[in-house]
Amino acid sequence: MVKKRVPDWLNNSLWYSRPPPDDERILRYASRYSDPEPTAEPPTPAAPSGDPPRPEIVDSARDRDGDGNGVLESPSAEEISRQSQLLAELSSKVVNMRELRRLASQGIPDGSRIRPVVWKLLLGYLPPDRAIWPSELAKKRSQYKNFKSEFLMNPSEITRRLEKSANGDNDEIKRQNSGLLRRSGITHGDHPLNLVASSIWHQFFQDAVIIEQIDRDVHRTHPDINFFSGDSQYAKSNQEALRSILIVFAKLNPGIRYVQGMNEVLAPLFYVFRNDPDLDNAAAAEADTYFCFSELLSEFRDNFCQQLDNSVVGIRSTLARLSELLKQHDEELWRHLEVTTKVNPQFYAFRWITLMLTQDFDFGDIIHIWDTLLSDPEGPQETLLRVCCAMLILVRRRLLAGDFTSNLKLLQHYPSTNINHLMYVASKLCSKHSG
Amino acid sequence: MVLVLALGDLHIPHRAPDLPAKFKSMLVPGKIQHIICTGNLCIKEVHDYLKTLCPDLHIARGEYDEDSRYPETKTITIGQFKVGLCHGHQVIPWGDLDSLAMLQRQLDVDILVTGHTHQFTAYKHEGGVVINPGSATGAHSSITYDVNPSFILMDIDGLRVVVYVYELIDGEVKVDKIDFKKTTATTAN
Repeated sequence: MVKKRVPDWLNNSLWYSRPPPDDERILRYASRYSDPEPTAEPPTPAAPSGDPPRPEIVDSARDRDGDGNGVLESPSAEEISRQSQLLAELSSKVVNMRELRRLASQGIPDGSRIRPVVWKLLLGYLPPDRAIWPSELAKKRSQYKNFKSEFLMNPSEITRRLEKSANGDNDEIKRQNSGLLRRSGITHGDHPLNLVASSIWHQFFQDAVIIEQIDRDVHRTHPDINFFSGDSQYAKSNQEALRSILIVFAKLNPGIRYVQGMNEVLAPLFYVFRNDPDLDNAAAAEADTYFCFSELLSEFRDNFCQQLDNSVVGIRSTLARLSELLKQHDEELWRHLEVTTKVNPQFYAFRWITLMLTQDFDFGDIIHIWDTLLSDPEGPQETLLRVCCAMLILVRRRLLAGDFTSNLKLLQHYPSTNINHLMYVASKLCSKHSG
Repeated sequence: MVLVLALGDLHIPHRAPDLPAKFKSMLVPGKIQHIICTGNLCIKEVHDYLKTLCPDLHIARGEYDEDSRYPETKTITIGQFKVGLCHGHQVIPWGDLDSLAMLQRQLDVDILVTGHTHQFTAYKHEGGVVINPGSATGAHSSITYDVNPSFILMDIDGLRVVVYVYELIDGEVKVDKIDFKKTTATTAN
């Protein structure tokens, strides 16, 4: 039995030991490995503060002097050039999407503060033609406002509004001072205990279950990040926004409603848009996030639908594709994982794929990974599979040495790693894909 | 938007076996936040049934109640409203609106819920509103045999209350509603 050899580019000491200092990018994470702190500085941990904090997500990859003090170092020459290229793209009348995607896939420099706009372009929320941006944005934002007022009203208010439109306002004034109170007919034959399916009250109570679930998940999102949780007014307003977005989405998509985990996919999007340096955009972040979230989920909605689990588009087939990808690039590892230790992808990769890696990396790293994921012209799923494959390959030594329990433990609590390194491996997989 | 169910004078098992089936099918757990019961349930099983509909249950003592621990009167604050509860057999003449108004002023509540007459009434005077949800089972009262089963559901939303009156007439459930608002000034107007 001929064992397929590990490809040469992979079988390089590059992946295991301190890398040689000649590669620019590698230099950046050499300091990381010497850094005593195990993970990147998270955005300010949830300490209750009065005024809205704007925690900077620290990019540890750029923390060149390794002191971990969270101060952003000046960007490297390569980054500066990328940033200026991106800015050039964005200032042209019609944005060249292919070029933008190519640039974005290498990562968007943090200092440039153009990430919100780039993400909106990548997700198709903003059209390439810059001239029509203001009108498009205005249209979409008012659409969202209508959605909110339609879906977030409780039945008491709806009834009152229906009455007002039927009777006019004068009824409110006409009040008796004493005497037997008049009984009047009910609006549209609807009352709170109505069991008819078309009753707004009935629908309200059915939706109440989903809304309760959404509430619970929103409160549990990223409890360590000040932006999302804590007692500050800022955090509460952000949670409100997340809640509204998820409720509107659930009501507009009766097919998948709300599934636990959608809040995690929503969080990075909202964070990026809310921290837009342009204040108008930041104020309208909720509406923008809703549409981008819809767009993002449309690619992945099949993963959330239980009935489709076993079909060609469902999660099972995606996991099978991951398996295939691994087999193609590293057969030894694949054989060890799936055949010898029987660690099926559904034990660890399910969460990686459905939640787009939001649970397995730090928030700052997630945003960088998403730069690359969103820039894929075929949709994030392809790149996501490659990144997952790269994640497996990076820890291959430990996996090959481990058994079922230790491998599963390792994969379910993926060790923190340098993101640039990871993305580099993932991009290498792409070029070998056709090979 | 708080839903409060008010009912009473069931007289189970002495005068009626159970709530009408149509009422029972409508009363499902999970919708109602509070239950106010004017009394005369009369047995513990009814108490347990009401508890399953909603854990927040308030009962006043009626003259036939087997559990003597229920209070004679009770005051509850729900949202912006103070609701008073009393069975009503203590207020003489029975069902007299002026005497009930006196009781309301004594308890200092916006809405007084009483029973005993087994007839639905809703009456407004300067001090507030007096509501009688009637008998939910249609049990006969000391005064009359001609009783329609009825109960009420109050939707308290800010300073406004919508009272939905559910009555069983000739085997059909009829729903009406009554609207009233609380004036923000609670001093005499």
